[in-house]
Amino acid sequence: MSWELLLDPSLVRLAVSMAVPLALASAGELLMERAGLLNVAIEGMVTLAAAGAFLGAFASGSTGVGLLVGAAAGAGVSRLLAHYAVAWRRDQVTVGLTLYVLCVGLASLLYRLVVGVRLTPPRVETLPPVPLPYLENLPVVGEVLFRQHALVYATAAVVVALHAFLFHTSSGLRLRAAGENPVAADTVGVDVFGLRVRAAVAGGVLVGLAGAALPFTFTGTFTEGIAGGRGWIALMLVIFGRWTPLGAAAGALLFAYVEAFQFKLALLSKAVPPQFLQMLPYAFAILVLVRAYRGAEAPQALGKPYDREART
Amino acid sequence: MTARAVARWQAALAYAVGLAAALGVLAVLVVALGGDVLAAVGSVVRASLGSAAGFGQTLNKTAPLLFGSVAVILGLRAGAFNIGVDGQIYAGAVMATGVAFLLAGWPRPLAVPAVLLAGAAGGALLGAVPGLLRARAGVNEIFVTVMLNFIALFLVEYLSTGPWNDPTAGEAITRAVPPGTTLPLLGTRLGAHSGVILAFAAAVAVWWLLYRTVFGYEVRAVGDNPIAARLGGIPVGRTVALALIGSGALAGLGGAVEVSGFHYRLILGLSPGYGVMSILIAVLSRRHPLVAIATSLAFAALVVGTDSLQRSVGLPASAVFVVQAAVLLVLLASEGLRRSP
Repeated sequence: MSWELLLDPSLVRLAVSMAVPLALASAGELLMERAGLLNVAIEGMVTLAAAGAFLGAFASGSTGVGLLVGAAAGAGVSRLLAHYAVAWRRDQVTVGLTLYVLCVGLASLLYRLVVGVRLTPPRVETLPPVPLPYLENLPVVGEVLFRQHALVYATAAVVVALHAFLFHTSSGLRLRAAGENPVAADTVGVDVFGLRVRAAVAGGVLVGLAGAALPFTFTGTFTEGIAGGRGWIALMLVIFGRWTPLGAAAGALLFAYVEAFQFKLALLSKAVPPQFLQMLPYAFAILVLVRAYRGAEAPQALGKPYDREART
Repeated sequence: MTARAVARWQAALAYAVGLAAALGVLAVLVVALGGDVLAAVGSVVRASLGSAAGFGQTLNKTAPLLFGSVAVILGLRAGAFNIGVDGQIYAGAVMATGVAFLLAGWPRPLAVPAVLLAGAAGGALLGAVPGLLRARAGVNEIFVTVMLNFIALFLVEYLSTGPWNDPTAGEAITRAVPPGTTLPLLGTRLGAHSGVILAFAAAVAVWWLLYRTVFGYEVRAVGDNPIAARLGGIPVGRTVALALIGSGALAGLGGAVEVSGFHYRLILGLSPGYGVMSILIAVLSRRHPLVAIATSLAFAALVVGTDSLQRSVGLPASAVFVVQAAVLLVLLASEGLRRSP
C-alpha cells in the first residue's frame, strides 16, 4: 500500500465531511460535561434528531426545517435530562440510559407513523457542496476543505467559538466552575442550576444538529441504525480531547478518517470480508480509549447532582 | 403507619403509576394508528398471558431478558455499567452455534451442557475485555462494552451470511444446529423451552452469590463504596473485572439458550434489543436478582403483547422501547418529586 492511497484527496475530503456529526455531537456533550452534566443518552438523541430532521424535511420539503426539527429534538431531550438530573437529582447514568432507550424507540416509531411501510424508503435532498470563492482553488487544500457542504463550515465555526467561549470569556469560566466546584461557584453567586440547564439545552442543540447531519450528508434516508455508535464515539471523543472543543474535533477528524478509510478498503479489497473492515472503527475506538484514559481528568463534579443542603 | 410502611406504599403507588403510564402510552399509540383501544388491550392480554401458548411465548421471552438483567445487575452491584449485554448474547450464541456444529451425533446429556458452557465462555470473553481494561487502565466500561456490541454484531453478520449461512434461507441465518444439541421443550401445549428454568436458576444463583458468599459481599462493598472497600483490603480492580466477566458469562449463557432452545440456529436479529431492555429491568428491579424474575416476566409479557399489536394494528416493534422507558421515567420522576421539596 502506498502513501498516496492514504492521503488521497477524495478520501480526506470524505473524512472531513464524516467528521461533522462526530464533532458537533462531541462539542455538545463537552459543553454539558463542562457544566457538570453527563449525557449518556447521546446515542439516542442523535438517532431521534436524525429521525426528526429527516421527517421535518420529508414533510416540509425544506432542509432548513429539518435542521430546526433535529436541533429542537436534541434540545428537548437534553432539557428533560437536565430536569431529572438538576432539579430532581436523579442518577445521571440511569436517566441517560433510560432516555437513550426512549429516543431509539421514539425515532423509529415516529418514522413509522409519518412515513408508513413502503417498499423503497423515501429520500430527502442532501446538502449540496458550497465552494468557497478563491479558497476552493487552492491546490489540494481547496478540494479537501473548501468544497464542502455548509454544515462543515458551520461545524468548524461552532468548535472554534465554543473553545473561545469556554476558555476566554467570563461566562465560560462560570460554566466550568459549575462543573468543577459547584459549591464554590454558588458561593460567589454563580447560578449553578440555571447554568447547567442552559448548558444542557445548548449542548442538546449541537447534538441534535449532529443527528440532523446524518440523513442530510450521506444517504438522504433514515434507518434505525443510522447513528451507528457515533453518539457513543462522540462521548468518548470528549475524553480523547481532554474536555477541550479543539481536542475533541481533532479526534472527530481522526475517527472520521478511519471510517472513510474503511469504506475505501472495502472497495479495493475483496479478500477481506466487509464485516471485518466495518469492525475497524470500533476496534480502533477501544485502542484509542486505552491511551485517552491515561492521565485524563474529568471535570471534578461531572455526573454529581448539586445539592445545596448536602454536606460536602 | 411507620415511615417504612409509608415508603413501601409510596413505592407501590409509583409502580402502579408506572404501569398505568405504560398502558396509557400504549393506548395513545394504538389510537394514533387508528386501532380500537379495548380490542387492543384484549389482544395484548390474550397473546401474552391468556392462553397456554401465549404464556409459553412469554416464558420464552423471559429467558433472555432474565439472563440479561441478572447480568446487568451483577455488574451494577460492582459499580459497573454493562451496556454490552447484546454483544455478549451474540458472542455466546456464536460460540454455542460453533460448538453445536462440532458436536453433531454426541449424546444430548453431553452435548447440551457443552453448548451452554461454550456460550457462557463466549460471553465471559467479551466481558473480560471491559473488565480488564477497567481494572488495569481505568477505562470506563460503558464505552468498551458498547464498542464490542458493534464488533460482535458484525461477526454474527459475517458468520450468518458467510461460512455458516443456510443457502436455502436467503437471509442472514445459519444452518440449523444438530438436533442432539438442543434444549428440550417443557410440554408441547405450552411451547416453552427449558431454558427459562435455567434463567430462573441463574437469577437465584446470582442472588446466592451476592448475598451468601464472600465474593458477593466484596462485589457489593466495591459497588457501594470503592474507597471504603479498598481501605478494607478488598482488591477493587480484580473484583470489578470478575463481576464483569461473570456478567458477560450470564449474558452469553442467555445467547446460548436462545440458540439451542428457541431459534435452533444463529440469526442476525437474535437480540431485538434484549440488552437495553435488560438495563431497564435491572434498574426497575432495584438491582435485585430475585425481583428481576418478576420484572422480566412483566417485560416479556409486554413484548409478546405488543408483538401481537404489530400484527393487528401495525404497531412497530420499536414501540415497546417507548413503553418500557416511559415506565422507568415515571418511576424516576416520582422518586424525584418525593425527595425534592
